[in-house]
Amino acid sequence: MVSPVLLIAVPLGLAFLIPLVGMASRRATGLMPILACLFNLVAVVLILPAALSDAIVVRIGGFAPPFGINLYAGPLGVLFAGLIALAGLAVSIYALGYIRRGSIRRYHLLYLLLLVGANGVVLTGDVFNLFVFFEILCISSYALVGYFGDRGGLEAASKYLVQGAVGSGLLLLGIGILYGMFGTLNMADLAARIGSSGGMSVFVPLALIVSGLGVEAAIFPLNAWLPDAHSSAPSPISAILSGIAIEVGLYAVARMVMTVFGAESMMAFLMFLGAATVLAGEMCAFAQRDVKRMLAYSSIGQVGLVLFALSVFSPGSVAGGLFQLLSHTLGKGLLFLAAGYMIYRSGSRRISSLNGMASRMPITSLVFAVGALSLIGLPPFAGFASKLMIVGSVLARGGTMLTLLLGAVLVGTLIEGAYLFGVVQAIYFRKTPAGAEGGRAPVSAVVPMLLLAALIVVVGVWPGPVAEALRAAASDLMDRTAYMGGVLP
Amino acid sequence: MTLEMVLLAGFGGALLTWLLGKVSARLRNGLAVLLALGMFVAVCLMHGQSFQRLLPLGFMGLRLSVRMNMLSWLFAVLILGTGLLSVIFSLRYMRGRSRLDYYYFTLLLINAAMLGTVVAGDLLTFFICWELVSWSTVLLISLKGTGRAISAGLKYMVMALAGSLAMLVAILSLHARFDTLTIPRLAELLGAAPLGYVLFVTVLMSAGFLVINALWPFHGWLPDAHAEAFSPFSSVLSGVLVRKGLYGLYLLVYVLLGTGLLQRLAWGALSYLNVMAWIGAITVVFAAFRALVQDDSKRILAWSTVGQGGYMVLASSLATELGVAGGVFHFLNYCLLSALLFFVAGAVEHRTGGTRDLNALGGLMRRMPVAFTGAMAGVMGVIGVPLTNGFVSKWIIYKSLLSEGRPFLAFAAFLGTWGTILYGYKFLHNIFLGRLPDRFAEVRRVPFTMALPILVLTALVLVFGVLPGIPLSAVSAAGVSMGFGSLGLSVWGITTDTGTLNVVNLLAAIVAGVFAVWALWRGLGRSVRVDQDDSYAAGMAVPRQRYNFTADFYGPLRRIIGPWAGDAADALLVGLARRTALVSDAFRKLYTGYVGSYVLYILLFLAALIFVQITWSPWL
Amino acid sequence: MNVLWYFLSPLIALLAGLLFLGLARKIMARIHWRYGPPVTQPLIDIIRLFSQRSASHGALFDLGLVLSLAGSLVITLFLPLGNIAPMSGSGGMLVILYMMLLGPLGMALSGGASANPNASIGVSRKLMLAMGYELPLLLVLLAVMTRFDTISIVSIVQQQRAGAWSIASFPLVVSGIAYLMVLPAILGLRPFEVAGAAQEISSGPQVELGGPYLALATMQHGLSMYIGASLFVNLALGGAANPFVFLVKVLVVLALCLFVNASFPRFRVEQAIGYLWRWPTLLALAGLVLTVVTGR
Repeated sequence: MVSPVLLIAVPLGLAFLIPLVGMASRRATGLMPILACLFNLVAVVLILPAALSDAIVVRIGGFAPPFGINLYAGPLGVLFAGLIALAGLAVSIYALGYIRRGSIRRYHLLYLLLLVGANGVVLTGDVFNLFVFFEILCISSYALVGYFGDRGGLEAASKYLVQGAVGSGLLLLGIGILYGMFGTLNMADLAARIGSSGGMSVFVPLALIVSGLGVEAAIFPLNAWLPDAHSSAPSPISAILSGIAIEVGLYAVARMVMTVFGAESMMAFLMFLGAATVLAGEMCAFAQRDVKRMLAYSSIGQVGLVLFALSVFSPGSVAGGLFQLLSHTLGKGLLFLAAGYMIYRSGSRRISSLNGMASRMPITSLVFAVGALSLIGLPPFAGFASKLMIVGSVLARGGTMLTLLLGAVLVGTLIEGAYLFGVVQAIYFRKTPAGAEGGRAPVSAVVPMLLLAALIVVVGVWPGPVAEALRAAASDLMDRTAYMGGVLP
Repeated sequence: MTLEMVLLAGFGGALLTWLLGKVSARLRNGLAVLLALGMFVAVCLMHGQSFQRLLPLGFMGLRLSVRMNMLSWLFAVLILGTGLLSVIFSLRYMRGRSRLDYYYFTLLLINAAMLGTVVAGDLLTFFICWELVSWSTVLLISLKGTGRAISAGLKYMVMALAGSLAMLVAILSLHARFDTLTIPRLAELLGAAPLGYVLFVTVLMSAGFLVINALWPFHGWLPDAHAEAFSPFSSVLSGVLVRKGLYGLYLLVYVLLGTGLLQRLAWGALSYLNVMAWIGAITVVFAAFRALVQDDSKRILAWSTVGQGGYMVLASSLATELGVAGGVFHFLNYCLLSALLFFVAGAVEHRTGGTRDLNALGGLMRRMPVAFTGAMAGVMGVIGVPLTNGFVSKWIIYKSLLSEGRPFLAFAAFLGTWGTILYGYKFLHNIFLGRLPDRFAEVRRVPFTMALPILVLTALVLVFGVLPGIPLSAVSAAGVSMGFGSLGLSVWGITTDTGTLNVVNLLAAIVAGVFAVWALWRGLGRSVRVDQDDSYAAGMAVPRQRYNFTADFYGPLRRIIGPWAGDAADALLVGLARRTALVSDAFRKLYTGYVGSYVLYILLFLAALIFVQITWSPWL
Repeated sequence: MNVLWYFLSPLIALLAGLLFLGLARKIMARIHWRYGPPVTQPLIDIIRLFSQRSASHGALFDLGLVLSLAGSLVITLFLPLGNIAPMSGSGGMLVILYMMLLGPLGMALSGGASANPNASIGVSRKLMLAMGYELPLLLVLLAVMTRFDTISIVSIVQQQRAGAWSIASFPLVVSGIAYLMVLPAILGLRPFEVAGAAQEISSGPQVELGGPYLALATMQHGLSMYIGASLFVNLALGGAANPFVFLVKVLVVLALCLFVNASFPRFRVEQAIGYLWRWPTLLALAGLVLTVVTGR
């Protein structure tokens, strides 16, 4: 039995090893994230069966909650950790070949810290701890966005930093108020106490926390940093930001609103917000000429879809939302990775520069198409299963308002279909411009891309087990009493 | 061979073809033909079977299933038959082009997925196969890589996606309500559902089917897509692919809803079936007039596909055994005819260096007799000249419209036929008749593998025209599987209680007439064969090259109907898309690029939350 | 006796058609204050033409003409000639409508195959004109079929004979007038003589025809006049009890049209369609609406 603590501790330890390893070999530092992710992957596989049947609560230092800090490795947390490890693994392999400039050691260190932060957020059972891990995640991502030090990157990073800092400030303020009111930082304990009170005094911290976390979760209209940051970052970082960082933010929002505050009355509002986010993201992406910006805006849309599904708040829809989150991580990660090398080879981020890429980079183009079709939600790819689950559960919930909102969301996916197909067509069918350069992507890029593409197809063809696991995760998120009962003796 | 094996072979074989293509082009072509042939034969042998069974395959907790009855069988056989001929035609047509592995892979994938659509036993299987067809089709429409091909593909994709999203909502809502998607089970359960709900489901699903069947006002994607695709694929597209929308309509209207429920879906004269019938009628007339003003050989055929689809829906919406039989039979006939005509257009395109402009061709009858024969049979069939298959189905359609007392619908159908005569003749004349331009004087005959599908289809058109009882028995059985009575058939024709059609009489009369006149002419007249330029110019000196009349063939008519035959519905949809793009661009301006305003958004959001809570306290 | 009519009725129709052509020339001449050729002139011409040699433009050129004449002959088997209708039981009006296509279509194919632009122009004009008059004609036919609730032309004739002629009974009189207004266009007479305009396009589809070909074409022309008029007689004027009365009625109708022919100049195609799609169509539409509203 592996302790869930190791999911955070091992990557953190390896992160600290990086400077030491770096003294021996600069290249070897790149192996550290891979090692960490592999370890986490194995650990998750070992932990998952137990976590699915019964959440594992780890008491740090042996103090029982609510006095000590605890980790809560429920189905949701462990699955998330697995997803982080998986996406992290793909991206870190990719980075081996892609990141050649700048201080490579620093890159890998920051990258590992980012993963540590993400793992921490999804596993912790303590609000302040959540804030700390969240900061680790955010700060390392600020730095990574500006990693290449070019003008666009630095500008995006500083904008991201400003907005992120405002968000963190609001979050901290909210946590502070909560602590002042209830004298506890433990999530389960907070949940138990909030259940007995209500009104404005509870709402203000909730509003602060939602606004604060909403920035990282890219909820409209708090998401203005995202298009700049995701498009200017180095492609592997774009992939991890789109695939992991905003999802973790969304996880935090959902955990706080659903489990800690149990604010079911807010769900209708979040639903609207989700639908608005979908439309805003997809419409902005529609007119984009820059492929990475397009993908970044599309991430906003996808996050909106997840938020929408989560806030419908039925077991099926929450599971569907989580499934969508999974397929978005795989699909968008894949798209960013594929686009990364296409941009690298063609030297421009304009979509028109990708014309006829399929003849120059066949495998990269193929996986790009797989990712795009999956995001649009076409069979036999993962996105189809998640779309099916969301639409099905929303309709099962019923109601005119909900059906209309679903219609709006589906219009969003239609727009997404239009622009993503436009790119796929450009890659496959448009004539290669004269004098276009481009060679195949290196093995270090092809392997993770094929890995992700294979996963998309496998999940798309056999979504059953994934859906089952996610149903357990959904109940983890929705069932407050079980959560409290699991943590508090 | 069981149906499951055929499906497996279809999907697996497509992939295998692709892989084999990396090894040897010859092997790939051979496998493609064998696969298409094998599937066709295997499904042909399933004639008369009727079953519904689960597949050893599940998706998200739902078991997928297949079903077979005569309706499915008819569609399946036509799909696979057209697919087979299309593959054979492709062998020469596509030779020397790039990305053939991809081409054959997609063609066979579409073939298998279409088969899956029509033999699906539950709506989930149906939808999955439907979507597989949708996205693989766009990859084949755009394959040519010209700007128009790409925008045609995109237009198709967006419209198909919109349709299938509507369908998805309907299907999943059925699942949410009844907890099953199996077709027979749903058919039982829907009878007891509230009418408003049935209407909701019906409208959404019909929208999806109308888009694919390209009925007005959702026809906009079809002319572009058909014209820009490679001709062998245009045949598939026009003959069977768009008709999966028709299959969907049958499935929805007659299998799921059934006539009992349909009668309840009516509010006075405004009933579901009436609306569908009028959509069909509008499509018939509108498409006929649009086809008249086209100058591209494949575009004429594309509009013809739109219009003939209108006939099928029009007749099928009558909900009588004769009407539905007319619809199904017209689908069968037009599948053969459109495949044939697209093959002909493709053959001409192939031999004339890609010419599709009807103003640049002419006189090819002398150089391409096989293609001309095919074109004659095809055009006559589409018009519905007696002794071709199209005649019988159109007769049934008119007959059913008249005996149901629907003269205005019948008028639309008749008028559409006259439009067909005009554009059909234009197609025939501008390509094959008139003066042969000098630059085509050495055009070569159609190669064998392209001539074969043309000849096979020509033969079928004539055989089914003279012996309509053969296909009609399958059509009648398909009608029975949709819950209608069987037709009174003989090999030569059809008997209804208010009138009969007997093709053998017509055959005898026409043969006798032709023989008599021919005898008279051969017996008395003498003639010598002259060159095409040895003609009477009424005393005017005309340059040889310009002694031809093709440009603006129906000029005066075009000038009259031109202002009325604009494609307003399509313009509206395209305008909507443009408008969306503009609005999106305006929306994007929200992201000003100035970080101060971004922070302002965050704070405003927070302030708004708190303000709302203070004022109305809706939360917590 | 029955079998005999299979041969007799096309023959009668053919002779009647040729006779009408002769009569037409005679009547036109008298209207023009000329003496005119004898009534049998077309027959004499045909015999003469068969003795000449002619140029052929290929198999389709020949076959189109043969098909055209054969189709026109066959159609006479379906149209009641008074009380005689040998093949009335094979699909009714719908088949007649379609069989009526064979004649013009064969002509169009033959004309197209002749590689002479005048022929092509003629065919294109003919088709456009047909589009023009079919619009009101179809409405009229539908009104008649709806009124009598049958697609059998024999039954239509019988019902008229039992009651009143269509053109003399209430809702159908509107349709009947519309029919009368388009009849010259159906027969291809002035002012609708756009397809075979001799002065403009050298007689259009017939431009390349000579010798036996012209003979066939003349026979077809005569037959098509007969068919157009006899359809009108059957549908609007109640047919007839015996062939003789029927032929008289047909003759009267044709003579009426000849007077129109003599008094008007030729329309352009646009003008022709503009006329046909305006008043006749509106009247025909009104007729159909009235028929549907008043029911049987």
